[in-house]
Amino acid sequence: MKIGIPRALLYHYYYPFWKTYFDSLGIETVVSSPTNKWIMDKGIKYSVPEICVPIKVYLGHVLELIDRGVDYIFVPRFVSIQKGQFFCPKFMGLPDIIRHTFPEMEPVMLSPYVESTTDDLATSLKQYQIFEDKFGITRSDNRKALKKAETVWKLFREYSLNGYDIPEATQKAMSEGCQTIGDYKRSLDDKYEYAEVTIGVLGYVYNIYDSVISLDIVNRLKEMGVRIKTFEMIDDETLKKQLANMPKTLFWTFSDKLFAAGNHFYHDPDVDGIIHVTAFGCGPDSMLGKLLELDSTKFEKPFMTVRIDEHSGENHLQTRAEAFVDMLKRRKRKLKKGALA
Amino acid sequence: MKVTFPYMGTTVVYKKLLEMLGHDVILPPKPTRKTIDIGVKYSPEFACFPLKVIMGSYFEAIQKGAEVIVTSGGNGPCRAGFYERVHQRILESEGHDIDFIVFDSMFRDPQTFYRNIERLRDGTPWHKVLKSLLLIYDMIGKLDHLEKEVQRIRAYEKNRGETTRIWEAIQKDFDQAYTSHTMKSAFKKGKEKLQSIPVKHVDKEDCIKIGIVGEIYVVMEDSINMKMEQLLNSLGAEVERSQYLSQWVTYNMLPKWINWTHEKAVLKKGEPYIPILIGGHAKQSVGQIVDYGQRDFDGVVHLMPFGCLPELVSQSIVPKISEDYNIPVLTISLDEQTGIANNQTRVEAFLDLVRGKRKQRLNKEEKMVGKKPESYCTSG
Repeated sequence: MKIGIPRALLYHYYYPFWKTYFDSLGIETVVSSPTNKWIMDKGIKYSVPEICVPIKVYLGHVLELIDRGVDYIFVPRFVSIQKGQFFCPKFMGLPDIIRHTFPEMEPVMLSPYVESTTDDLATSLKQYQIFEDKFGITRSDNRKALKKAETVWKLFREYSLNGYDIPEATQKAMSEGCQTIGDYKRSLDDKYEYAEVTIGVLGYVYNIYDSVISLDIVNRLKEMGVRIKTFEMIDDETLKKQLANMPKTLFWTFSDKLFAAGNHFYHDPDVDGIIHVTAFGCGPDSMLGKLLELDSTKFEKPFMTVRIDEHSGENHLQTRAEAFVDMLKRRKRKLKKGALA
Repeated sequence: MKVTFPYMGTTVVYKKLLEMLGHDVILPPKPTRKTIDIGVKYSPEFACFPLKVIMGSYFEAIQKGAEVIVTSGGNGPCRAGFYERVHQRILESEGHDIDFIVFDSMFRDPQTFYRNIERLRDGTPWHKVLKSLLLIYDMIGKLDHLEKEVQRIRAYEKNRGETTRIWEAIQKDFDQAYTSHTMKSAFKKGKEKLQSIPVKHVDKEDCIKIGIVGEIYVVMEDSINMKMEQLLNSLGAEVERSQYLSQWVTYNMLPKWINWTHEKAVLKKGEPYIPILIGGHAKQSVGQIVDYGQRDFDGVVHLMPFGCLPELVSQSIVPKISEDYNIPVLTISLDEQTGIANNQTRVEAFLDLVRGKRKQRLNKEEKMVGKKPESYCTSG
């Protein structure tokens, strides 16, 4: 028996968790291929035209898995991973979108409710009870698997917090579970010693790390000799501090994190500029983008919005990114000169 | 205090309530092209349409001298809960230091809710506040009752535009009424006025009923949905909306355990399609389409602001419901790029389709029963 995991949306944040969980229950998993033209086209064909590109892509991934003949598809319903906060309504209705668009898929969908009070999914056992009934797993095995998944996922987060991007962190956490982290941190710092500028890249993991959706902006910037910081590299305490004096925070967990990260980047003297990568029509981003943009003049830090959808052009992005990086470099040199003179 | 509020639907109601609490009310002008342009200029590009319109109407109200804005809040997951924060920031950055009184759900944060009430009450004795509230509640119910009549009669009026004119006059009458007695007579007078509108006779098989569902702001505010109700009426269709102010108020004011309102029933009907509340009015929209389907409506117009998060989910599900209940649905998403002619064409085509479908169904029934259905369904 095979369970298909679509390589989209929060796959990029929870894959180490899910993979370990299913592995230790002895269930085979299949991950869809990295986003490609076929997936993109299928997704666009079957979704409503106005919806954002990550959701379209998700539908494409689901179709690819069906094509590859999996027995079940893992489509969790993301409701909330923090008290008083939610996911974007599209995440909450994701299984509904899929089962009503493709009625034949309803029986093969596994849709646990993701509803917990921290972003560590293992804290609410209740979500995973549907697997007990479906696959005849005992409660204690389930618990053990969750424990193991939790450990690996925590390690993955630890790598992220030490400055590794998601693909690196996933690979490290999954393969070298027992290594200590301190050494990696040092070697990473060496790697970036000569980076001239640091850019805070704001964007959801499923946009940034999907090299088709974001046109691989992270690696593009890296090739230009830029050091990257993203929200998942900042620990929760720091993020919380940024939001402490807000009268009302955003009520979408990841948007809230992005907003806090944006504010952190403004205060962080290491960060020279911010690029906000957002999908066309993204609701939460339309709000937080404006709020951060208004702050840009206050902190005198350059802020650029890159809007992406299924029609994004590669050259256009390359030109804009290069211009932005050049501008940051020039600005930094000028500031240094000013200080010396 | 010089108070203003977002413009939505029958604004007489909010105006009256604030007036009765002793405030100087600055009524924002009805949204026009200009309002929308101002709103679009200052709002985030991809914010939903209601945010932009409300932004514009705030700017207009401030120009007229408003100092305090009273509005409702929310706690997600729909964007509407965050409107006030964005509005406030934008007004601030434009140099307007405006006070906001935001009402979040009273069950979530009773303390702030109470503090807001205190501020708004501004020394008015409690019994008077209670009296005004009851009066207003009564008024909403009466206005909604009349509006439902309007939406039916307007489809058959002989002189184009007469019903709309009378409806505006009725709202003015209510604006002048400050006691339950005057309110009653305004209601009676309104009813009579509506009765006296000359109407055409229409055969029963030509009477069609269209339901409007969708996000509350674009459904209730006709100046931004390209006058959908009037358009449908003028094409000879009776109209019913999914949201009326009285229903909304009752649903939101009652605690969960005695909440047996219309909305509750509608939500129940939406359950098979969207099992949980995902914010906004997605589940209501879905449930309402089911409801219209069960009540044998001829078609549904589904309105949503462009890019509305919850409505995108319901839009994805609409084809399935339409198939399940055999009811045609037309989804129209609205933003500042209005194309009246385009809209008109789409709605006309939709109604042609609905009429054809109805005829087909009646023919089938006729064959089975073997007699002609009763004619004349209008009043008067």
